[in-house]
Formats: sequence, structure tokens, C-alpha cells
Amino acid sequence: MHEISLVRNIFNTLEDEFSKEDLDRLTGIDLKVGLLANVEPTLMQNAFEAVTETENKFLKAKLSINVVPILVECPLCGDVAEVKNYLFQCGNGHPTNNVIQGEELLIERVHFQED
Amino acid sequence: MSVEKSSKAARGTVQCDNSSFSLLKANDFMAENIRKTVKEKNILLINITSSAGSGKTTLMQETAKRLKDKLKMKVLVGDLETERDADRIKEAGVEALQIVTGGICHLEAQMVWQAMDQIDLEGVDLLFVENVGNLVCPASFDLGEDYRVTLIATTEGDDKPKKYPRMFLTSDLMLVSKCDLLPYLPFTVEAVTKDARDINPDLEVMEIASTSGQGIDEWCNWLLAKVKEKQEAKAVTA
Repeated sequence: MHEISLVRNIFNTLEDEFSKEDLDRLTGIDLKVGLLANVEPTLMQNAFEAVTETENKFLKAKLSINVVPILVECPLCGDVAEVKNYLFQCGNGHPTNNVIQGEELLIERVHFQED
Repeated sequence: MSVEKSSKAARGTVQCDNSSFSLLKANDFMAENIRKTVKEKNILLINITSSAGSGKTTLMQETAKRLKDKLKMKVLVGDLETERDADRIKEAGVEALQIVTGGICHLEAQMVWQAMDQIDLEGVDLLFVENVGNLVCPASFDLGEDYRVTLIATTEGDDKPKKYPRMFLTSDLMLVSKCDLLPYLPFTVEAVTKDARDINPDLEVMEIASTSGQGIDEWCNWLLAKVKEKQEAKAVTA
């Protein structure tokens, strides 16, 4: 629902972290998005294309979105398990809301031209 | 690793560190500022979320009526347009400030921070942020609150929590609202509680009906206890 503002956040973050010269050579952005992040990859791709064209920026960059599953770590037995069907419990059936993966909304890697 | 702008040209693939490259970094930074400010000023901050029409504003009105003589309460209320909700809360006798988001589907910490600058926080015990009516986007934005309280109305259906898992995962208390309508609806408090606790086993649940007053004393007592708890914790560390 707020994919456009997330794309603007990608741009702002990259502009904070890299120089303009570097960003002119940007070829790819890899996002890591947890299942709980409420981000729809297709909408994110569409928003990315729309914003790159409107702002005439990062036109050579390809956006890849790596969706990662929800993992919980049980405080009782230490088991790490993937949450399926939104039933938040470890592999031994202990209910837990201790999410260790799945809420991410990160730029994981960026790619630049080699030469 | 984080790359300094002045370092030599970036080439090939750059692995990014989690803290600098989170897309919610700016929001989380402001949320921390809010958290520090309300701690210093001894204010309990509650973020109220729900779908549109679940009774957030009506609950704010009823809460204001009951608590305005017991403590100092103020409300910041977010909506896409209009000042209607703030006007309704003011009628109940407490100060309210409307945050018009102008089309944005959630409140961000920056908006709350700016609004806090426009009200007098001196002596305030309890500050509510009534979020935009939406169970999706507001779930991702930390506002620096002490507690997140989510309303789910009996008219919405008792299978909602798993459709909006992050909101229920990040909430501390679920208020099942409009419980006076339970006899007329295919909704059970048991079913909605089970659905929500599959996601968040620690979630507290209360049944309320703002218009009949059911459960409102229990809710107000919960708030009074949390205000007291925060103020006592502050007194200990002071």
C-alpha cells in the first residue's frame, strides 16, 4: 500500500550511503523482505519502475526482491522453526511470538559496474 | 559493511549492513526520540490501531469522559482527511489534535513527533495516538509507544487476526469492541482470541462495548495501572 514511499526510502538510503558517481554506476539492488513486512513484490517492482522513470534515476538498476519466511526461536527449548499458516510455535509445539526473521525490510546488497 | 561516501569508488557487489540499510531507519530513529521524550516527561504513550469503523474514536470519547478527572490525558488522531475525529474527542472534554496525513495510509513517527511539538505536554500522564484506520501499514511503523492496543469489532468477523498477522503480533492488548452486538452476529470472542493468540500467545484480550459501557471500567483500570507502573518505574530510577 505504501510501496511508492518505500521506493523513495530506497533512493534516500542509497544517496545517504554512496556518492553520486558511484550511484551513476549502479546496476542492481537486492532487497530482503520478510513475509511480515506487508510488501507485495509485484507492486514493489511496479513502484520501482514508476519512480525511476519519473525521477529519471537509477534507470540501469535492476530490483531483486528476496522474500524470506518467518522464523521463531523458542525461549523455552531454543528450537528455531519456520512459522506456517500463521501458527506461531516452535517445532516442539510451544507457542511463541519471538520472531527472529520475517520482519525485515532491508537493502541486502547493491551491485555496481565492475569497470 | 557501510561504505563512506569519501571512500574509493564502489565496484561489483557491496554487502550492506542491516542497521544503515533498513528502509524503516528514518522512522525507527524518530520513534526512539519519541520513546526517550515520553520517558523523560513521564507520559504513557498508547498507539491505538484498528480497521476503519471499529470504534477507536468512540472509545477515546468514553475513555476521556471517565479519566479526565483522574489524570491529564491528550489525544493525537490521524486521518487521511478532515478534523472530525479530533472535534468529537474535544467534545468529550480533553485536548485533541488532528494529524491529517493527506492520503498516507498510516502514521509515521515523524508525524507524531511534529504533532507532539504542537501540544503542551507539561503534566500530561497519558497520551493516545489514534492511528489511521487500517490493519496493514500502521503495523510496520513504530511510533515509540509503550503499548500498542488493537481494536477488532464484532462486526468485522472473528477470522481477521491471521489475515493481518503483523498487527496482532506487535500488539499488547486486543480490545474486542461492539460486544453488545454479539447476540446478533456470527462472531465469538473465543474464536477471535484463538486466532490472535496463534500469532501472539502473550496478547491480552478484553471485551468492550463503548456505547453501553461494557468493559470500559476494566479498560480504564488497565490504563491507570500502566500509567502508575510507568511513573513508579521512573521514580525508582530518578
